[in-house]
Amino acid sequence: MAMVDVRNVTKVYRRDAEEIVVLNGLSLQVEEGDFAALMGPSGSGKSTLLNLIAGIDKPTSGEVIVAGTDVAGLDETALAGFRSHNVGFIFQFYNLIPVLTATENVELPLLLTHLSKTERRERAATALKVVGLADRASHYPRQLSGGQEQRVAIARAIVTDPKVLVADEPTGDLDAKSAVEILDLMQTLNRDFKKTIVMVTHDPRASERAHTQHHLEKGVLRD
Amino acid sequence: MKFLPYLLKHLRKNWFRTALTVGAMTLCIFLFCTLQSVLAQINTLLDSRSAKRLVTRNSVSLTFPLPQAYQARIAAVPGVERVATSNWFGGFLPVKKEGKADEGSSSTTDWSNFFFNLAVDLEPFLAMYPEYEIPPDQYQALLQDQRGCVIGRKLAQKYGWKIGDTFYLESFIPTHRKADGPFEFVVRAIFDTDPVKYPGTDTTLMLFSRKYLYEATGRTLQAGVYYVEIKDPDDAGRISSAIDALFENSDAQTHTETEKAYAAGFVAMAGNLALLLNGIGLAVTFTILLVVANTMSIAVRERRTEIGVLKTLGFTSRQVMGLVVAESVLIAFIGGALGVFGSQGIMWVMTHAPGLKSLLGTIGLRELNLRPLVASLGLANALFLGFAAGFVPALNAYRARITDMLRTV
Repeated sequence: MAMVDVRNVTKVYRRDAEEIVVLNGLSLQVEEGDFAALMGPSGSGKSTLLNLIAGIDKPTSGEVIVAGTDVAGLDETALAGFRSHNVGFIFQFYNLIPVLTATENVELPLLLTHLSKTERRERAATALKVVGLADRASHYPRQLSGGQEQRVAIARAIVTDPKVLVADEPTGDLDAKSAVEILDLMQTLNRDFKKTIVMVTHDPRASERAHTQHHLEKGVLRD
Repeated sequence: MKFLPYLLKHLRKNWFRTALTVGAMTLCIFLFCTLQSVLAQINTLLDSRSAKRLVTRNSVSLTFPLPQAYQARIAAVPGVERVATSNWFGGFLPVKKEGKADEGSSSTTDWSNFFFNLAVDLEPFLAMYPEYEIPPDQYQALLQDQRGCVIGRKLAQKYGWKIGDTFYLESFIPTHRKADGPFEFVVRAIFDTDPVKYPGTDTTLMLFSRKYLYEATGRTLQAGVYYVEIKDPDDAGRISSAIDALFENSDAQTHTETEKAYAAGFVAMAGNLALLLNGIGLAVTFTILLVVANTMSIAVRERRTEIGVLKTLGFTSRQVMGLVVAESVLIAFIGGALGVFGSQGIMWVMTHAPGLKSLLGTIGLRELNLRPLVASLGLANALFLGFAAGFVPALNAYRARITDMLRTV
């Protein structure tokens, strides 16, 4: 059974009277343990598709089944619960909370669990260790480099042990060296921790790391 | 509670803005508590006045005296139980024990030693004031000594006066001075009061025989006001009219009113004090509501991306809304708590600083405390303001779509 099963999905945005079809009857399967790259020009609908898989948006029609759950059928609260348990999101611009330290940023998703403070701190420390930033635990985002910030963001994404990691241009704001480090890390998460990864990227070097590549154009899969 | 460090970190991030908002809330609650405490004290003071007592004064002003001959005519009005003449002595401590009285003006007076001292017809006056509880032997000693005086327990404690102690007072009112020096008084009685039965009773008061003042000042003294005890409180209106009618065609017309109205007139000389104080409080509260609401709106607008991230991580819209409201309420609570402490502090200063204490004493506000109810209302007010100010920005955060919030990155 596919970890991500997108079936005949359409996404239409309405701007005043105008309807913009972003995804047009798209279907896609990503197997458990796969590392999939979504590629395509700007406006092709890859970020929209990623948002649907992550459960932060809903399709106009069709089904989006992630980890056995039809995301499209969930209400707002259930969807939030789904995201906290099943999905780890990695943003292009890291989106760390500037007033929180690396540990506190990583700990943030765990505030939604019933874990004690000690347990939360332990798990955050483990996640930071996995991404190689144990020695930066008490640093604030402004005290970290871009690559380090992105690694903290990845630690935050994996701290709840989600089934799927979705990444929206994770190397888009990084220099070449940092980008390589981040891609190495994502490969490690996929290979050693068996995480299913769906990554949107423009970068051919990034897409080379993926097991499967899907090309979108005008809301449909080209391949 | 696990979200508290998260909230505090945000407040610390923009510490200057937080400090200003907290300061605004502090000012609001400070004013609320202080004004309400003053009003509550005034109300207690007024409520403690007996409905059986009337006060007759010169209709022109309190500063104009009334002829002494009025006493007997007032006493003859049907329904009147007894009448006592009273003059505000205006005496101060300490002054010279011997020699000529100071000819200077009141500007040389030491206001830090101000306390109310009245020259009254002791027997009828004390008979109509059961609030002043005097032991029988002390009462007899008081009546037998023309220089004798009765003082309240707090006044005795303040100056360490005991029965038999002597002290001197000199009035700042020229007509209440005598050529050979200050008035000598002997403490013959100390009165207590039942604070439950008679709340608001002033025990920093001194009373002495009006006869002493009358004779020492050359027997020219006129009456300041007449205190009139009536048999039936329901008859107050009729008796007041009857007394004033007696002197309608005289040079010194009278104005008779209940003691409560008389006291209310003292504290409300500048107009409707309650309306004024409540109006100020309401205006300040509304302004602070706008200030805090604006601050929270800015805070939410600045954190659009963060709100999007929180929702992406799995925070529900309701939880995000709760965080915004909680932040607003936290600011309000800190400000409210500081306001309550500040109010308590200023009232302590007002009732202990010599000049201020005397000034407040002239309108009967010798006691001024932050009551638990007022403090609780102040805090509740702060929490409500915090909630109200944070609600709309929180609602916007609640409604915000994740994709819209993240788009601002």
